[in-house]
Amino acid sequence: MAEISEKYNTKCPGVKRLMREAMELAEATEEYCARPLDDNLFEWHFTIQGPKGTDFEDGVYHGRILLPKEYPMHPPHIILLTPNGRFEVNKKICLSISGHHPETWQPSWSIRTALLALIAFMPTPAEGTIGSLDYSPAERKVLAKKSRTWSCSECGEIINLLSSTAAKPITEEEQSVLNQIAFKGEDEQAAKPPVEEPAPEIEPQVIESSDNSTTFLDQLTEILVALLVGAIGIFIYRRWNIHQTTASDDM
Amino acid sequence: MADDASSSSGCTGNLVDNSINQDELIMKQQREIEKEISESIPLVGDLEVLSSLEKEYTEDPIYLLKVKDLSSKYKYIRRTRPDGNCFFRAFSYAYLEHLLTDKAEYDKFYEIAKNSKDTLVALGFPQFTVEDFYETFIEVVQRVGEQAGSSSAGLDAVRDELHDKFNKQGYSDYIVVYLRLVTSGQLQMQHNFYQNFIEGSRTVTEFCRQEVEPMYKESDHIHIIALSNALNVGVRVKYMDRGEGSQVIAHDFPEGARPLVHLLYRPGHYDILYA
Repeated sequence: MAEISEKYNTKCPGVKRLMREAMELAEATEEYCARPLDDNLFEWHFTIQGPKGTDFEDGVYHGRILLPKEYPMHPPHIILLTPNGRFEVNKKICLSISGHHPETWQPSWSIRTALLALIAFMPTPAEGTIGSLDYSPAERKVLAKKSRTWSCSECGEIINLLSSTAAKPITEEEQSVLNQIAFKGEDEQAAKPPVEEPAPEIEPQVIESSDNSTTFLDQLTEILVALLVGAIGIFIYRRWNIHQTTASDDM
Repeated sequence: MADDASSSSGCTGNLVDNSINQDELIMKQQREIEKEISESIPLVGDLEVLSSLEKEYTEDPIYLLKVKDLSSKYKYIRRTRPDGNCFFRAFSYAYLEHLLTDKAEYDKFYEIAKNSKDTLVALGFPQFTVEDFYETFIEVVQRVGEQAGSSSAGLDAVRDELHDKFNKQGYSDYIVVYLRLVTSGQLQMQHNFYQNFIEGSRTVTEFCRQEVEPMYKESDHIHIIALSNALNVGVRVKYMDRGEGSQVIAHDFPEGARPLVHLLYRPGHYDILYA
C-alpha cells in the first residue's frame, strides 16, 4: 500500500475510494477476498468460494478485476482465471442488470457488491450468453475439486487465500440489488450504456466484431469471385480447345 | 480464431448477430459523437454575458424574443456540460457560490448537509460508499464555509478554487453522486407523496434506482422538487422552449420559496443564470 500512495494522487476521489475498498477487503473472509496488485491500484485479484448447495460448492475460484479510470462512476470488469464450467476463463465479463426494469451500475455499489453478485450469479443457467459455459453438473463438480489445487502466478495457491472468518452479512438492500445483477461476456455489452475502459480495449473488441461480419462477407465474395474466374477460365479453355480441334480438322 | 469458431456455429444465427452488431455499432458511434461534443464543453464554464445566447439563435425569432425577455431579468449565464448530470452540477455550483456571500444560509445548510449522511445510512444505503461520497462533498462545503462572508480578496480565491474543483471530474462527479443519493433518499422517505409523480407501474424505489442514483440520468421536475425540499433550498427554473408567447416562464421549487439558485432550462439541459 505504501507504494500505491506514492504512485497515485491520493487526493483524487477515485483513488481514495479504491484505497478504502482495499482496506475494507484487506481481511480475507470465507466467501471472498480481493486485493489490488502491488503495482496497480486499478487491477485487483480476487478469490471466491463457490456458492453452497450448488455444483460449485467445493470450488474456489480466482480471477482479476479491472477497474476503469472512471471508477466508481463506471463498473468494474471481471475476468475469471480458474476453470469453473460456468464462465469462460480469461474473458472479460461485465456486470449487467437483469430483470424487468433494467437498472444500471451505481456509484454506491462497490467491489464487494460485484463479488457477491458474481457468487450469486454462478448457479444461474448459462442460457447461451456470451462468455457463459453450460457444462454438466458432473463436469462442474470435477472442476470444483480441481480448483482447490489451482494456483495463481501472482498470488500463489488460491486455497490459502480465503479465511474462516464470515464475511459481513448481506443487508436487505444489498440482497435486492444482488438479485438483479447478471454477468455477460463483453460482446453483448455493446448495446449497454457507455462503458469506458481503463485502456482503449473496447474499441478493438467492437471493431473486431464488425470485422467478423466483413470477413464473413469478404470470404463469400472471394469464393464467388474465385468460382467465377474458374468458370470463365474453363469456358475459355474449352472454346480455345474446340477452336484448335476445328482448326486442326480443317488442316 | 476461437471467436471465429464460436460465431460460425450457425449461418442464420451469424447473420442475426451481425445485424445486431451493426445496430450496436451505429448506437455506439452515436454515443461517441455525443460524448465528443459533450467533452468539448467544460463541466462548468466561465461566466458569459447573457447576450451570448443570441448567437445560438440568430435565425430563430421565437428564441430571440425569449432571450430578450430573459435579459430583462438576468445579466449572465454559466454553461454546464450536457452530460445528464447538468441539473445537479448547476444546482450545487450555483448554491455553493451563493453561500460564499450568505453566512446565515451557509450555517443553516451546513446542519442539513451534516445530518444527511445519517439519514441515508438509516434508509439502507450502503454506509461504506455513502461515507466516501459524503466526505468529498462536505470537504468542498467546508471550504466554502471557511470563506463565507469574508473579504472580497478571500472570496475570489475560494471562487477560483470552487470553479477548479467543479471542473475536476473526480470531485465534480462525487458531488453529483452525493446529491443524487440525497434526492433518492428524499423520494424514498416521502414515497407516498412522490409516487403520484411517477408514470407507469414503477415504485419509487425502482424509479430511484433507475432514474436518480445512476450517473448521467437526466433530471426532471421530480428530481428538482425532491432535492430542493431535502436541502430546503429555493430554486427558480426559467423554462425556455419553442412554446407560444415571448415570455420565459419561471417555476419555483419548493413552491413559494425564496429562490437562491436560478437555472435556465432548455429542453434536455440546465445552465446557471445570474441577475
